[in-house]
Amino acid sequence: MKKVSLWQLFWTFFKIGAFTFGGGYAMISLLSEELVRKKQWITDADMLDMVVIAESTPGVIAINTATGVGFRKRGVIGSLLSTFAVVLPSYIIISVVYFVLTALEGNLWWESALKGINACVTVLVVNAFFKMAKQLPRNWFSAVMLLIAFAISTFLPSVNVILIILGGAAVGLIVALFKNNSAKKAAVNAADDGSEVEDKPSDKEE
Amino acid sequence: MPFLLLFWEYFKIGLFTIGGGYAMLPMVKQVVLQHGWLDENQLISFIGISESTPGPFAINLATFVGMEVGRSQAEGAMGILLGFVGAAISTFAVVLPSLIIIIIVMRLFDKFNNNCYVQGALVGIRPVVVGLILSAVFTIGLAVFLPNLKFDNLSEESFSNFNWVSLLMFVGMFVLSRIKIEGKKMHPILLIVLSAVAGIIIFGVCGVTEGTV
Repeated sequence: MKKVSLWQLFWTFFKIGAFTFGGGYAMISLLSEELVRKKQWITDADMLDMVVIAESTPGVIAINTATGVGFRKRGVIGSLLSTFAVVLPSYIIISVVYFVLTALEGNLWWESALKGINACVTVLVVNAFFKMAKQLPRNWFSAVMLLIAFAISTFLPSVNVILIILGGAAVGLIVALFKNNSAKKAAVNAADDGSEVEDKPSDKEE
Repeated sequence: MPFLLLFWEYFKIGLFTIGGGYAMLPMVKQVVLQHGWLDENQLISFIGISESTPGPFAINLATFVGMEVGRSQAEGAMGILLGFVGAAISTFAVVLPSLIIIIIVMRLFDKFNNNCYVQGALVGIRPVVVGLILSAVFTIGLAVFLPNLKFDNLSEESFSNFNWVSLLMFVGMFVLSRIKIEGKKMHPILLIVLSAVAGIIIFGVCGVTEGTV
């Protein structure tokens, strides 16, 4: 594992922020290309850990990976610096774009282009939905949770989205507790009658 | 205290975005509409532009919203300055929760990753987030096609002014986005550029006005 200077950390993540589009999973392959193969700052296994952490903690995946790599290389200062570096290009570019857009307001051609873009955005969001839906485990639990969340958010728009997410976490926790208990009971039963170890801790949802 | 509110709302959004950038969308949508920071159409345009400029989509969108909130606080040069301040606040706020959490988690990675309650909560959160995105898709899409529709206030009025040109464009773009050429799907940026050109031709050159049915 190489020693990395703070400047190198900053410059690498600045470039990643400036030259990647879209974010999310598209960014992961780019990150591993840059950090594992070219720079050899981290190993493939580190990268996988990083993605697992990035997925299961709040935040944007590309940013979380920057924070994580920065931390691993140079501690808290490193993580602050890499996070700042990866966000900085967005800040600069969007600020410029924003003022260009403001200047274009009311321009017929630009308004026409925007109408086209707006129809396209719907396509992008639909595709993001399909991509994320594909990664869910295929079981009744996921399907029911998905539909309930959809229904609440669509037909009761005043309900806070964060509450709906917390509700999902609570249900998931209860199911985990329940499974844990039945697994323990099964283990106790198995210890009592010896043979039936394999059959008992069956999952209810899957 | 609009900046304090901006910080607090984006801090919460950062804290509850689980599963990457698009998971942020339902929360952003609710917050900006609730506080009147953007209207639905501005939000949709900002999404399109955030997707087609460099940088993570969610950060771009946060910068945009902060810029708009800041600039609306004052006129002229002061507004521009406040725009930069607003953008810095929303971007910082959205990153802060994950920055803190990642630093903690990196120290206790194995404990965190193998904890059955953390994993249990995530099993519950993931389908909910996808359901929320579906809802955002649904309402954003319908806002493009049916500008007068409000789900909490359905009436005959809701279905007036049906925008069939946009619906046709949506179907066309959707088909294009699913086509694979040599195993590769079209890049989203190309798709956005194409739809902008289509928009200019249909609405600008041909002068199609949004159809009422």
